[in-house]
Amino acid sequence: MNGLYSLRNADFSVRLGAVLFVLVLGYSYMFAFLMVREWAGLTPADVAATYVPAAESDRPEMSMSSTEALDLGSMEAEHHTVDTSLLIQDSHIHIMIYAIVAALQTLLILGLEWRPGWRNLVITAAFGFGALDFSGQWLMRFGIGGFAWLTIASGWGMSLVYLTVLVGTLRAAISGPRPAAS
Amino acid sequence: MRTYTIRGAALLLALAAGAWTSAPAPHITPTVVLTKQADAIRNGIPDATQFFVKTVTVGEDDFRMLSEGGFRPDEEEVKFYYGKGGDGSVRGVVLFPQLNTAQHGPVEVGLALSPDGTIRSVVVTKATVETKPWVQAAVAHGLLDRFVGIRVDGNPQAVLDGESKDTMGEMPYYFAGLIARDVARGLAYYRTLYAE
Repeated sequence: MNGLYSLRNADFSVRLGAVLFVLVLGYSYMFAFLMVREWAGLTPADVAATYVPAAESDRPEMSMSSTEALDLGSMEAEHHTVDTSLLIQDSHIHIMIYAIVAALQTLLILGLEWRPGWRNLVITAAFGFGALDFSGQWLMRFGIGGFAWLTIASGWGMSLVYLTVLVGTLRAAISGPRPAAS
Repeated sequence: MRTYTIRGAALLLALAAGAWTSAPAPHITPTVVLTKQADAIRNGIPDATQFFVKTVTVGEDDFRMLSEGGFRPDEEEVKFYYGKGGDGSVRGVVLFPQLNTAQHGPVEVGLALSPDGTIRSVVVTKATVETKPWVQAAVAHGLLDRFVGIRVDGNPQAVLDGESKDTMGEMPYYFAGLIARDVARGLAYYRTLYAE
């Protein structure tokens, strides 16, 4: 047997808990996607606009003004931005929960009887994509807008890990105990 | 050995979850738009037929003056939205001063002023998920109507005279104070930066 235990041969309660965990996790990920779409955007330009700080310019000696006509109907909604304080708070909350979710996914992975190389790759991805997500956000916060792709790719990477664990867990839980060798 | 490993892992996970859920965590919640800026402008200057935006880049002199008055601008630019009637006369000005609190996030108001600088109306345009009910409670207490008629050199904080956390509730009273400070900031911006 590869791994710590066999989910397929585990007690029904263990398999039930495993299935419910991945289903509820998927439920939360749906809202995570909606939240990202709502507050940050899905394109590199939108994500960079959320995290990259506005370029600082020297304040002029005297105030200057400009006036232009305004069409209220086409007034754009302000784009949500994340400043350093909010990013520190977001990092504190999200990286911790990413680690907890990755740890729980690891417990499931250890029961799926995968080959060691594949198993270790998925475990590393489970932890790694979460860390890379916020690495991208901090790099953008430091003014390097080109790392919007890292945050976007990490989000999709976490989704891919989830789907992999979901399929593996459902297959192991539903297929039932392995028949005894004759 | 395997049993101890599983039990140990489960214990660590339980301790981590317990620590995470029990630790006090001041947490700024997402921003909520209570009134769109376009609607605040439209309702703040209802007799205007044309609208304009005046964008003022705050210079060193005005920045220093505002800072000394306790209204240090967080932004480089301040926008004043004004409306004109069919005869071309200015009917009013709307601006959106915002206070950013460290623990609870931003509170933004839409401050509408008549051409003579008197407050015509105040609406709260932005709060957060957490602070929205406190803001709404303060508004339900009739807070916003009390600002109407205050002159540009007046004291918006005076609307809270006679009020306390006992009359309004602790957090609604606190946010009423923030809203009053927001209005005061707006009046300071108008006095200092807007010249017609």
